[in-house]
Order: sequence, then C-alpha cells, then structure tokens
Amino acid sequence: MKVHGYRRADGRLGAHNNVLVLPSVVCADLVAERIGATDAVAVVHQHGCGQVGDDVECTERSLLGFATNPNVGAVVVVSLGCETIQGVRLAKRLRECGQTVDFAGIQALGGSANAEAYGLAAVARLRQQLDRLERTEAEASDLRFGVRPARGFHHIAERLVEEMVDSGASVVVAGPWPGAAELAYGERADGRLAALPDPGHGAEQDVALAAAGAQVIVSFVGRGHAPTGFATCPVIAVGLDPDIFAALEDDFDMDGSGDVWSRLIAVFNGEPSASERRGARDFMLRRTARTM
Amino acid sequence: VIAQLMGYRRPEGRWGVRNHVLVLPLRSAANLAATRIAEAFAGVVAVSHEWEGEPDDPDRLRIEGSIAGFATNPNVAAALLIGVSAEDRVLADRIAAAGQRVEFLAMSQYRGTIGTIAAGVPVARALVAESGRMTREPMPFAGLQLGLECGGSDAMSGVTANPALGIASDLLVAAGGTSILAETPELIGAEHILAARAANEQVARRVIEVITGFETAIRELGVDVRGAQPTPGNQDGGLTTIEEKSLGAAMKGGHAAVSGVLEFAQRPQRTGLHIMDTPGHDIEQMVAMVAGGCNIVAFTTGRGSPTGSAVVPVIKIASNSSTFNRMPGDIDLNAGAVLDRELTLEAMGRLIYDVVVEVANGRQTSSERRGSHEFAISRTVFPMQPAMTALVGTHPR
Repeated sequence: MKVHGYRRADGRLGAHNNVLVLPSVVCADLVAERIGATDAVAVVHQHGCGQVGDDVECTERSLLGFATNPNVGAVVVVSLGCETIQGVRLAKRLRECGQTVDFAGIQALGGSANAEAYGLAAVARLRQQLDRLERTEAEASDLRFGVRPARGFHHIAERLVEEMVDSGASVVVAGPWPGAAELAYGERADGRLAALPDPGHGAEQDVALAAAGAQVIVSFVGRGHAPTGFATCPVIAVGLDPDIFAALEDDFDMDGSGDVWSRLIAVFNGEPSASERRGARDFMLRRTARTM
Repeated sequence: VIAQLMGYRRPEGRWGVRNHVLVLPLRSAANLAATRIAEAFAGVVAVSHEWEGEPDDPDRLRIEGSIAGFATNPNVAAALLIGVSAEDRVLADRIAAAGQRVEFLAMSQYRGTIGTIAAGVPVARALVAESGRMTREPMPFAGLQLGLECGGSDAMSGVTANPALGIASDLLVAAGGTSILAETPELIGAEHILAARAANEQVARRVIEVITGFETAIRELGVDVRGAQPTPGNQDGGLTTIEEKSLGAAMKGGHAAVSGVLEFAQRPQRTGLHIMDTPGHDIEQMVAMVAGGCNIVAFTTGRGSPTGSAVVPVIKIASNSSTFNRMPGDIDLNAGAVLDRELTLEAMGRLIYDVVVEVANGRQTSSERRGSHEFAISRTVFPMQPAMTALVGTHPR
C-alpha cells in the first residue's frame, strides 16, 4: 500500500487540500455558503451566539480543532461582528496555530454583499496558493484515522482499530476505549491511540474526530441510524444492519463484509467515498448548555 | 385610508402572505436531498438543520413540534417532507393532520440520497404547479401575525427602532391583528412592566413565571451570562447589562395589553399581543415564531444583522443611520431617522406599520432578495452537561 497526501508546514499530512469557509456564527451562514459555493468547502451551523460557560470554550475549541485538521490548507473565517464566539478572535487563534487564515467580517466590511465579494476573492487567492502543493508519498505513521463504532458491533471496530495500529497508523475512536489516551471533545490527538470518552451522538462525533486530526473517518452504522458525510474529511460508511444497508445502499460504501482497509487507502489517495460522491457536507456540533 | 390586505386563504381560517413550496428534511440525514430538490426550482425553498432524530432525545417533543409548526406556517402552500425511513411518516402525518398540504418521501424507498432527489423533483414540480393556481384574496387583519424580533442590539435600539416597532405593533393589534414578543432572556428586568399589562391575573402570573423561570435556569447553571447576554456586539454598541437591554427590547411590544403567554413554537388561540417563551438567539427565536404561525417578522438591529427566514418575510429595521448606510442590501428601514430628526417616533412607527402591510401584500424584503434560509434547532436539555464554573475573565472581552 502506498499513500500520497499533502504535507503541511507543521509536518502533518492531509488527505485533502481544502479551503474551508467557516462562519463563526449562524448569522454568517448564508454569506459563508455563497463564498464557499465554488473552489472551497463551506460549512453552515446554527451556533456561535447566546452561549455561556464551558459551552463557549467547547464550541471554540471544536471550531479551532476542526479548522486546523490537516485536510484544511487554508481558512476564510466569516463573522457577523456582534456574536458571542467572536470571529476576529477565532481567526487570531487559528493564525496562532499556524493556519493560513483570511477574515471576512460582515459588519466590518459593510454588509453581506461586500463580505461575499471579499470572501470570494480571498478563496480564489488561497485556492491558487494551495494548488501549488502536490501529493507526495507518505508513511503509515503519517496516517490518523477516525473510527465511529456502532452499538452492538463493537468487535468489528475493535478488529479494525487493531489492524490500523498494527500497520503503524494512528487512530482516534469516538467513545471510551481501553488503553487509549483520553481526549476532550474538540481536542487534538498526538499519540498513536486516542479516544473520546464523551463524543456527543451521531454526526456530532465527526467534528471531534476531525478536530483530533483524523484525515479519514470510518463510520460504522447500526440500527436506527443513517449514514452521514462530513465537511472536510471523507467518511467511509459501513452498514452493519442489513435492513438499513439495503434501504440506503447508495449512501453506504460497503456492508460489514467489505474490505475497509483497502477502501481507506484508496479514499485517502483521493478516490471519493460515498459521502463525497453525493456531496454530503454534514457538520453538527455538540453543545453542552442551552442557548440564552 | 384603511389599507386592504391581500393574502392566501389556508385551512382553519389562517392566512398566508407568501405562497412557498417548502422542502423540509424531517431528519438531518435528509438535508442534502431536500436542498438539491429545492435547487431545481426558483419558487421552492428548503432549510437544513441539526436534528438527527434520536428517539430517546429528551428534547424530542420540542424539536418535532417546531419542525411540524414550521411546515404548517400559513406562508407554506405545500410541504414536501423528506424522511429517512418509513417511521418518519408519523411526523409527516402529524403535519398533514394540522391542515397542511403534504407529500412525503422516505429515503429508504429510493436507496438513499441520489434516488430521493430524482424522485423528489417531479413531486416538487407538481406542488409548484398546484400552488401556482392559488391567488391572493382580501384578507382580514386578524390573519396577520407579526413576530417582533431584535438582534445585534445597541444603545439606540431601545430609543429608536424598538419603540417605533412598538407603535407599529399597537397599530396592528388595534386593527385586529396579532403580535408576538419573545426572547425571554431579553425580557429579564422588564417582567413587571409586561405583567402590569396582562389581560388578566392568570396571564400576569404566567409572564412572571416564564421570565423569572429563565433567570432561575441561568442561576442554576452557575455561569456568568455576560458575553451571551449582552453579547460582545451589544456591549460595543453601548448596552451595559441584560436589564438595560431588556427594557429596550420589551418596547417592541408597544403598549397593548398582553393577551397570552405562549410556549416555544405554540400557536396563539386569539388575536392581540402575546409573549412567547424562546431563547434570545436570533434564529432559534425566529424558527419558534414561524412555527407558532407568524407570517411576517419585523427585526430591529443596532449592529446590523443580515438574517432572515426561508418562508417568512423579515423586515429589517436599523436603530441608527450609520448601520443602515453601512450595510446596503441587508436592511429595509432606518429608524435612525428619528435621531436625525427627520421623522418623529410616531411617524417612524406608522412607516413601519405601512411597510408591514406592503410586505404582507407582496413587497419583497432584503432578506427575501438574498434568499435567507437560516434555521436552528432549540434544545433545553443537555444530558451530559458538565458542572459549569464561573466564567468571569475567561471570555473574549
């Protein structure tokens, strides 16, 4: 197996080379969506204002971690200006992490239309910059995979995690895991095996896996759940419940009998996963307190 | 001259001022399919949201109630509901039972997203054709339900835009219409003023209960609410405390009697001014008011907000000329004219009222022109909530 990825300034490897358009608050969603319509990946979310306590820090940490995932080569932060999670501060903290950042403030730039024009130009500039980077050959130790186990099918996730670690890759697991270093939601992993004891539920787990540094996510989907995609990491959806797999087959990469490992390598190298083929860019953030 | 309203007659005596076909995902896994179906037609709108449909979610009733209410807003001529599995039909049936024209597709019938988009496009096309045959007819003022909102407030909000909107609200209530004042945390400190205007003892008690209840919930969290209420932008705009913000925010309700207190996303049973229990978060609040039947929203802003709704026209009113002039295309009216001595507060209030009527009759607002479709799920219960510690000094101020 050979993997090729985008080498970042800090030495980490990206499976993708995205320009991310990140709204700091729901009020900036539409502008972010328009800025990211071509040449970039925009996420939209409903958070960033009226938040209190640890919930503020959790959201900020998650956005920071997510936007410094090695699949993201550059970020355009879109801010309204009056929000709780201040976009200016988010952009500053991203720069301090070594990320390439531009900032479009809607109130500061004089409204949505001006912010869109500014953001589109920023994306074009950053895209051009990132396009100079080419995939280079990498080692197994450059890989960090995210794994979402499914209730009732833990043994399948166990086998995969073991295989990953044996091959020399690093792993982050959503949920408690014996022998793993424990991470808070939104925190970056540095060891070979890390776990999120409190990862949120459903697609919220993907944000934490991405923030931990996973380049590709393997999502085991059991009963009562649907396969999801993710904004900046390919998701390989493995259907473990035969009924759900049959009903939503096109949104899955494989059922439980498939070869996850070779699919992972192919997807890392650029082959689109099922979620990427359909264009799913889910982004769901775990919250810890009610909105004010 | 008494203006004539022209709207779309809906079942159960309700009236729409728009005639949208809405494609609504019942669970977030259907977001992509809903968005793609709506993109196929200019007249079709869609929203996306973060509700995954966890069956044991303690907020399930609240969330499903707001999704169902949103789909049955009278501005929605027909709703194409996208579920993931056949079980989602339960919610679809509930929306249909509320009198809405509904079509339902489950992704499980089409092997996933791509097949659902292909199946949904012709269904949406048929709904567009069907809704296109509906026409506006004379509509009573009792059919108009105005949501009162403020976002990104500053020190002028309580001096210009909010009291002017209060005058417009009073005019609407006098004409037989309904207004909804919400944003419970932004009423903390003004509860006595609102309770004194309650239509009866019971309403007065509910006003106090709901507002002090929110205050108690904040205290129980043990957090410093500053940074969330008032926000950094509120503070830059000269607002110093939540009570000060509240006294300005409550002025959006004018001087009319408070005829009822509504739960989150609850539809009023009579006309007149109501208070709805919602967070201050602009989009959670807007979704609650839309789900509660508001067919038009007036939204005052000091710092400048570009947000809106997929199904309801939102009239944006600046509290000062500087913000109005700085954000062309985002704001509809300038209550800064009161400070600039171009209009009296009374005249500004009448202007807002006239524009509410014009917009109800079809005039587009800036957020409609931009195609706003922000949406938010409002939660109250956080099962894994960690112990919260005081936050003074750690916030980015």
